[in-house]
Amino acid sequence: MDSLVISNIRQRPMRTLISVIGVALGVILVALNTGLVEGILNDRLRREQGLGAEIEFSRKSGGVLSPQSIMSVDTRYSDRLKQIPGVAIVTPVGRHVQSGNSGLGFEVVEGIDFNTYSTISGIQIVEGRIFQTEDEVIIDRFKAQQNRLKVGSSIQVFGKNLKVAGIYAPEAGSRTKISLGALQNYLAAPNKCTSLMIKVDDPSKQEEVQKRIDAALPGNVVVLRRDLSFGSVGSVPGIKGFVRAVLALSIVVSSLVILLAMYTTITERTREIGILKSLGASKRYIIAVIEKEAITISFIGVLVGLIVAFIAGWGIEKNTTLQIEFHWSWILTAGLIGLGAGVIGAIYPAIRAANQDPVKALAYE
Amino acid sequence: MSAILQTENLVMTYRVGKVDVQALRGVNMSIAPGEFVSIMGPSGCGKSTLLHILGGLLKPTRGTVIVDGEDLAAMTDAARTDLRRRKIGFVFQRFNLFPTLTAEGNLRLAEHIHGNGKRTSNDKTRHEVLKLLRLENKMSHKPLELSGGEQQRVAIARAIINRPAIILADEPTGNLDSENSEIVLNMLQQLNRELKQTIVIITHNPEAAAVAARIIEMRDGVIVKDH
Ligand SMILES: Nc1ncnc2c1ncn2[C@@H]1O[C@H](COP(=O)(O)OP(=O)(O)OP(=O)(O)O)[C@@H](O)[C@H]1O
Ligand SMILES: [Mg+2]
Repeated sequence: MDSLVISNIRQRPMRTLISVIGVALGVILVALNTGLVEGILNDRLRREQGLGAEIEFSRKSGGVLSPQSIMSVDTRYSDRLKQIPGVAIVTPVGRHVQSGNSGLGFEVVEGIDFNTYSTISGIQIVEGRIFQTEDEVIIDRFKAQQNRLKVGSSIQVFGKNLKVAGIYAPEAGSRTKISLGALQNYLAAPNKCTSLMIKVDDPSKQEEVQKRIDAALPGNVVVLRRDLSFGSVGSVPGIKGFVRAVLALSIVVSSLVILLAMYTTITERTREIGILKSLGASKRYIIAVIEKEAITISFIGVLVGLIVAFIAGWGIEKNTTLQIEFHWSWILTAGLIGLGAGVIGAIYPAIRAANQDPVKALAYE
Repeated sequence: MSAILQTENLVMTYRVGKVDVQALRGVNMSIAPGEFVSIMGPSGCGKSTLLHILGGLLKPTRGTVIVDGEDLAAMTDAARTDLRRRKIGFVFQRFNLFPTLTAEGNLRLAEHIHGNGKRTSNDKTRHEVLKLLRLENKMSHKPLELSGGEQQRVAIARAIINRPAIILADEPTGNLDSENSEIVLNMLQQLNRELKQTIVIITHNPEAAAVAARIIEMRDGVIVKDH
């Protein structure tokens, strides 16, 4: 039976090739999209964690990973936080989220107080100087390189052309920063920020400091930044729907390709199905022959798809600012979708073949 | 009752649109194990229909069909398929080999189906069959690389490799020249003699019929002569 499956696959190389490409496209679609989403989010997470603060103080619905521009924390909390034992430095951060200038994803602009922020994070100006007016920004080295920006270049924020005053390193938080005062003016939120970043005296005691803050200023959100996470990609609102749509699209496309391929196959091989029946092959046997063929094709499609996705991912990272991360769980999902599409797509042709009348099938020209 | 194949009042009616076509109108016959029977008769008299029913490919309209002790007329489709797997070997006029498989592959497939997924090849039978049909050197050839006579010999090997109780052959020499017909017929005769194989063949050819020990003649869906 296995040699029948293999010989059938080789008999029609063009059909096999087209079905393999169909399944591979679905796999590539899933792998690249989830890889892209994962890459963008993880890149963001890494930079947030590189910021150096152990504790973040904010209001409900205003956390650091929130996809909105919410300035709901009064900067004057800063003074009260500094009174709490164990707190070393506090820096206010305002956050503005705008859609990415490449049209893909989103981009965050932080409003910071440079002195306290740089003390916590260790960022330093490596070219130019810090922002001095409201229409000046600083950017990190990665952004400068990727977008080919220099000191003096202009950059779009709030729909306006702002000037790059300086370039800083290392990476921490968002890649574009303006002064907190400027952000407060743009968002018409005087004395507000998104959250207060807190560096503690002794990182090993951060939980105790967290509890003390909670007790002193109840009703606020006090989180340890080491616990920061987007959870799984599928749980990020907005992205969840997108990922689901990609998965659904992929399985539909791949199963349709397999359905079509196997349907032509069984029509073409009607007489051979009749021969199988004359030899006493049961319905189950015939369904198994056709499913095995479809699954074998899908399996090749999955392999080809993953290889192409890896190569494409590498190429995209090299040539664009996008980061791609292939997480094993998504690779597995992509593979299962490819194989699943093979199984599902072949069901109808397989049952149809199994139910053929043997005498008529044998008489088929 | 020692018959291996037996029919009583076997009736087969095909329905074509609103018209009923009576292909068999009460066939009674009995074939003993080890017999070599040939069925003759004019075109359209119901020979193939009878053979398909005997092999469980068709469900008769009425009557009984006993194959090696099992009543075929009362069976479900699946049960008849299973009986075919266990007890019947078919040989067709058009050879019906799998074109993409070698002769060896064709035999293995038959063994695989017979074993319900497990290969149940008996090397001794296999060797015997291949030697008898003089196919030892042809096993790695695909059907298109074989002559018609060789293809039909592979088909016979495939039908007999699992040692079915009965071989049913529908005009096995219909697509062969007289030389190859003779070879194939002689081999069938040999299988019948040496392996005690029960064989029923349909033929238009009196010479072909002559190799059989018994000839059944049909006309208009009934047996008119049995000698
Ligand atoms: N599937 C079918 N549907 C309707 N009528 C059929 C069908 N198969 C056979 N018949 C009719 O049944 C009758 C017997 O056909 P069958 O094929 O058994 O004849 P046969 O003796 O094998 O003829 P031949 O020597 O030409 O092969 C014919 O009249 C034929 O037209
Ligand atoms: Mg016929």
